[in-house]
Amino acid sequence: MEFLNFLLILWAAWLIWRRPERERFAFALLVVSCLLMALLFLVGTHTSLVPRVNL
Amino acid sequence: MSQDRLRAILAWIVIVLTAVPVGGAVWLGVVHGESPCILCWAQRTSMVLIGLVGLFVIRYGPRPRYIGMVVLLGAWGVFMSLRHSSLHLARDVGQGYAAPYFGVHTYAWAWLIHWLVLGVVGVLLLMLREEPAEEGPHDPGRVGRFAFVLFVAVVAANASQAFITTGPPPFMGQADPVRFSLNPRHWVWMNRDELAGRVSLRGSWTIPRPDPVALDVDPEPAGGPLADLPTLPAQDWGRIGPALDGQLTGFARDTKTGQFLGTTEHFSAYVFDSSLTRIEHHVELDHQYSIDLTPLAGATFLGDTLALLATNKSYVLLRPDTSADPDREWRHFRATTGDVTELRRSRFATVRARLLYVLSLAYDPEADELITVSVPSARHRRLVVSRFTRADMTLASEFLPRLDPGLSLRSDDRSLAEYVVTGSVVRNGLLYLISGAFSTVLVIDLTEKVVVAAYTVPGIEQPVGLAARGSQLLVAQADGRIAAVELPLVGGSSARGPVGS
Repeated sequence: MEFLNFLLILWAAWLIWRRPERERFAFALLVVSCLLMALLFLVGTHTSLVPRVNL
Repeated sequence: MSQDRLRAILAWIVIVLTAVPVGGAVWLGVVHGESPCILCWAQRTSMVLIGLVGLFVIRYGPRPRYIGMVVLLGAWGVFMSLRHSSLHLARDVGQGYAAPYFGVHTYAWAWLIHWLVLGVVGVLLLMLREEPAEEGPHDPGRVGRFAFVLFVAVVAANASQAFITTGPPPFMGQADPVRFSLNPRHWVWMNRDELAGRVSLRGSWTIPRPDPVALDVDPEPAGGPLADLPTLPAQDWGRIGPALDGQLTGFARDTKTGQFLGTTEHFSAYVFDSSLTRIEHHVELDHQYSIDLTPLAGATFLGDTLALLATNKSYVLLRPDTSADPDREWRHFRATTGDVTELRRSRFATVRARLLYVLSLAYDPEADELITVSVPSARHRRLVVSRFTRADMTLASEFLPRLDPGLSLRSDDRSLAEYVVTGSVVRNGLLYLISGAFSTVLVIDLTEKVVVAAYTVPGIEQPVGLAARGSQLLVAQADGRIAAVELPLVGGSSARGPVGS
């Protein structure tokens, strides 16, 4: 999934560099990538979502 | 600062961010075989996304949604780094996860980088001149174009590393990755059950605090894990004479003076005379300043010093002192009879009992050590006896007591950890424990670390403390009533083992 996320990021970077008029779509890719990154982190921490320390 | 100037600065920031932490991570993988775990990947991706937002600003100017996105990424990155670091920061000196770089592990570097991103964004916004927003894309300029090229190259390298170490979708990063290799025979994609385990907010740290006066336990002796126990019937009953400010939570007796020590649910400590009819000293601790005290649950005499223990293993040492300075003690006590000095307030640190609360405190005069016994929770079922050296109040030893062959569990799925020890006392090298669950007295040989005897004590309710007086054990209840039972002399003049003496 990390591989897929980097492909999305590359796609967004290519759009703003070579197709700057497609800013909205590139930004949508950025948002999707952020959500995927957060989801993967939450998968990695799903047995304890907040730090394992005294709060 | 103009928007053109901002874009030029951002281009350099994107170059540094892309080249050093993100590009450096790929270099660590290829050259040193370092592979990120699933949490590392998320943190690295967050840095890449921050760089991508920088490219947006270089191309389109500082639009509000870009600024909002980078602030969100910075804040989320700080959280991710702290969450990741929390797995390792409290370990022993020099211990961490994977290799450190410049003395710091990568998850800690990620915290610093995300924190710096937030700081830099703040500084740049402070310096940005207010001018009309420019429409349409801008030429990124020479430095900006270099930033674009570098970004694409480094992200492509990351994508390659991600494919090798985590695989194509639906595979994802691993909790414990293996070292990087270009040889496909060594590629490992999700060999562990990353998705196993139930979703939890706090995981192993979900541990409800026990309330010493309202334990949710079964007091019925017949339901206990040990089979065929003899009974210690109450020989007589007494009561603490003076009115207290709350229910009793801890209880002890000084063998030399005969005085009693009691603690209450409202952070009070009372010293009573030997007949329990008169209060000789009293303080109400200020439990919030500065080491926090959860409810007091244990008490013992250390010679002329009084030791009090909270359920979170914080402790307080007091001493009756007719020359106590009331102004000096104001910081420690919310109420006092004026003749007590606080000597020390600190915390016990344990290893095996680290995620367990305690409800008892005892003192072993022969070893000059204090003793706590953990109480189980739904998350952690262990009965751990922890011993602390009186001289430095530091952990001396810990053990999980074994069961004497003369005792037996009702079935294989039963355990000593079902007992909830609420009171304890040491006598003649034996540790006597009273359990609120199943109203049972356990006797542990401190030398052999073995439960050598156990007895049920029918008729008691909410025991909170245990003391020895002559040939009797005194079981103190939360309501201030005291049950006296025969002190079983295991291995001595009385019979050894669960024979009821």
